[in-house]
Amino acid sequence: MKNQVKLARVKVDLTQQQLADIVGITRQTVSLIEKGKYNPSLKLCLQICYAVNAKLDEIFWIEKEDFE
Amino acid sequence: MKKITDERLILRNLQNTRIAYVVQTIGILCILGYNFFQGGLEKMRENPLWLVLILTTVVYFYLSMSVSVEHERKIKNPMRSFLAGLIVLIIAVVAVGYLVSITPNFSSLNGLFLGAVLFICSFIPLYYVYRLRVKHAKELEEE
Repeated sequence: MKNQVKLARVKVDLTQQQLADIVGITRQTVSLIEKGKYNPSLKLCLQICYAVNAKLDEIFWIEKEDFE
Repeated sequence: MKKITDERLILRNLQNTRIAYVVQTIGILCILGYNFFQGGLEKMRENPLWLVLILTTVVYFYLSMSVSVEHERKIKNPMRSFLAGLIVLIIAVVAVGYLVSITPNFSSLNGLFLGAVLFICSFIPLYYVYRLRVKHAKELEEE
């Protein structure tokens, strides 16, 4: 699913590896999430939000018409 | 070894385990099938793998029941279903026990024994489903 993880990560100046280490996942998973190829659980979404100092709806929200 | 905390990898691990389980089951079936063609049913049942297959099937069956109960859309009255199942079971047990006891070369003790085994083997899953339904109904009430 499309998301703004990459943008938010770059904003707080984190590399994929650094974000992965903070959240406790692998770099590959971060990469897949950013590409929209892996849907993280709500728990992981929140952990990512805390790591990049953002709100859930800023990163993981998509409009209804773009949902498909 | 470090504990895997990545949810994607944990999920992948589970999927891998499922594939391994399928391969293992196919292997066991192949070996048992080979035994069956070699020496018939007796030889097949002598193989300890037969016990493993039966055990895993029973465990899988019980685990599947918890999924089936949650899948039920209409909330049934657990007690009523349990009693209905029990009545059907008792009728079946009595019928089987009677038919065995009137079969030549079988005594009434055999009929009683077979009936008891059938009753126990069917009562356990029936009661298990009843408990699952009660638990499920309670969880729904709490919401």
